[in-house]
Amino acid sequence: MFRNGLQVNKLAISLCLAAVTAVGGYGQSPTPRPAQRPSVRVDTPKPTSPKYYPRPAIASADTSESAMEVDPNVFIQFPCISQAKVTISGWERNEIRVFIKDGSKMRFRVHEKDPVSDKPKWVLITILALDGARAPMSDCISGESIEIDVPVKASLAIKGYQFETTIDSVKKVEIKNLGGNVALRNISGGITAATYEGDVAVENSGGQISLETSTGNIIAYEVGPGQIGDTFKAKTTNGSVMLQKVDHRQIEANSVSGSVTFDGKFLSGGLYNFKTTNGSIKLSIPTDSSFKVIASYGFGTFNTTFPLKILTETESPGGKSSVAVMGVGDASVNVTTSSGSIGIGKQP
Amino acid sequence: MNDKCIETGTIQAFLDGETSHDLSAVISKHLAVCDKCVLALADAEEESAIVFSALDREFDSLVPTQRLWSSINEALAVEKSKISFWDKIRISLSSLLANPSLTVAASVLVVFGIFAAVWSLRPAGSNNGDVSSVSDTGREQQARPERIDAVTMPKRVSPKSAVLYKVDVSNLSNEKVGKLAKTANFRQGSDQLRVRPAVIKSVAAAEDYLPGEESYMRTISDLKQNVDGQKDRILNPSSRIAYERDMAVVNDSIGKMKEVVKKNPKNQSAKQVLYSSYQNKIDLLNSVVEREELMASLVR
Repeated sequence: MFRNGLQVNKLAISLCLAAVTAVGGYGQSPTPRPAQRPSVRVDTPKPTSPKYYPRPAIASADTSESAMEVDPNVFIQFPCISQAKVTISGWERNEIRVFIKDGSKMRFRVHEKDPVSDKPKWVLITILALDGARAPMSDCISGESIEIDVPVKASLAIKGYQFETTIDSVKKVEIKNLGGNVALRNISGGITAATYEGDVAVENSGGQISLETSTGNIIAYEVGPGQIGDTFKAKTTNGSVMLQKVDHRQIEANSVSGSVTFDGKFLSGGLYNFKTTNGSIKLSIPTDSSFKVIASYGFGTFNTTFPLKILTETESPGGKSSVAVMGVGDASVNVTTSSGSIGIGKQP
Repeated sequence: MNDKCIETGTIQAFLDGETSHDLSAVISKHLAVCDKCVLALADAEEESAIVFSALDREFDSLVPTQRLWSSINEALAVEKSKISFWDKIRISLSSLLANPSLTVAASVLVVFGIFAAVWSLRPAGSNNGDVSSVSDTGREQQARPERIDAVTMPKRVSPKSAVLYKVDVSNLSNEKVGKLAKTANFRQGSDQLRVRPAVIKSVAAAEDYLPGEESYMRTISDLKQNVDGQKDRILNPSSRIAYERDMAVVNDSIGKMKEVVKKNPKNQSAKQVLYSSYQNKIDLLNSVVEREELMASLVR
């Protein structure tokens, strides 16, 4: 068939050239070609499904106001708020007043009454029952703004999707939502606040306090315990924790990729834990403080303006630590960071 | 229409609802007084009933019936048979060349085929005839069993090499060759090589655990399994990005501290930071689980 290898090679080369020419010629043709995909695959999140924060099913957008006489120590529960700007204020009257602007109609559901006064002491604020088939979130209250006045001794429990909340002058608050800033003031009997996207700010409050957010900052100012043993916990994954004048004896502040700042006193017998993975920890305390500090700072640094008495110190890379004492070491302070800096300074 | 009676076609149109409103009124009026036309209408109705009952199956089914498909296929076959052989080739080539990927693939195949042909046409002396690839060996076994003498497994199989079997030429019986071909596991060697290191690694990892580390790992593993299936659904894009970033930060910290602890197992400070990072990872995973729980408690 072929006399020698040269002939075969010649034929192969010609066919190759023909194939390349054909491909090149086709490439120059005006036929539209699909857009080239990037060579590097970027692992981006999948498109949003409508399940995250679905639009609330409002039967009829309306402005409404309702009021109800209640026990002064009433427990008020909001099983679900879907979307609103919520403002709750305590007042001296034994009455709940709810004003909803451009939102769903609500109703009071009394779960329990006080046997002596016969006034409601456990009230649920829910949407007015809908007729027919229920859409998702149809049981949630929503509106442009919701204003609620409650007795100052009232306790609140609120859950929901995406709503901004401001609560002032009530006894106790428990709030949990998927998103939205939470601002709390003058809460005397304890706070449990958890949001997954938003800032949490607490001011002039007391009691057992637990603040948590995933993406947001935590700020606490002038906060103290209601009774001995009350703890203060603040935890964020993607944000900073700033504590100023927090007088709890047990404080735990934790961030993953943010900084932790404490400006206050280390009380005698107190236990303070400050942790961050990839951020700095700054503690600003009075000059006459007495504490023992255990600082573990992995690949980070440790600085102080206090004349600390170093008890032990390890300087191996990745495992740096210092145990030091100031005064007689009344308070125990644990500071841990993986790759951030730790600083303990004097208050001005 | 006759003077007295209605034509059969008009009756049929009336039955099918194809007559105009006025004509329908006239027909109805006539039918009220004409027995002959009523009988004709009854006959037409009967005929329609028979026809429709026969076609009911075709009309009622939402998908084309087998009979319909076969008739369509028959028609297509007839049409196809009318096309000449060269036309068929021309159509298939043009359809192939319309796709740039296929054109490139075809070109590559042509080039590859040529090189293969050149390779196979080389003089026998220049070929390493005693060793062939797995696929070639299989083909050789099926096509020319009378030439195979023995199939021997090499003692050590190189993971990168595709050469697994050595085939010598001789005279095994067809039955024996068939049996060998059925029982042979052509991938055995490479599979074992892939699995073994993973097992060894996991055993080694288990041995390397620090006190208490294993429970962290187990908790993280359980949570991760739970979270990985749901995070796309639960987290919106911005939260997802923040989550992945935090997770990367924590994982980086864990990795670094593990290295440090591995070098110096007595470094208590590094251990503390490592455990703290594990706890952060657990908190991070837990936040997704708690978010799911909150959503579940809200949706009714």
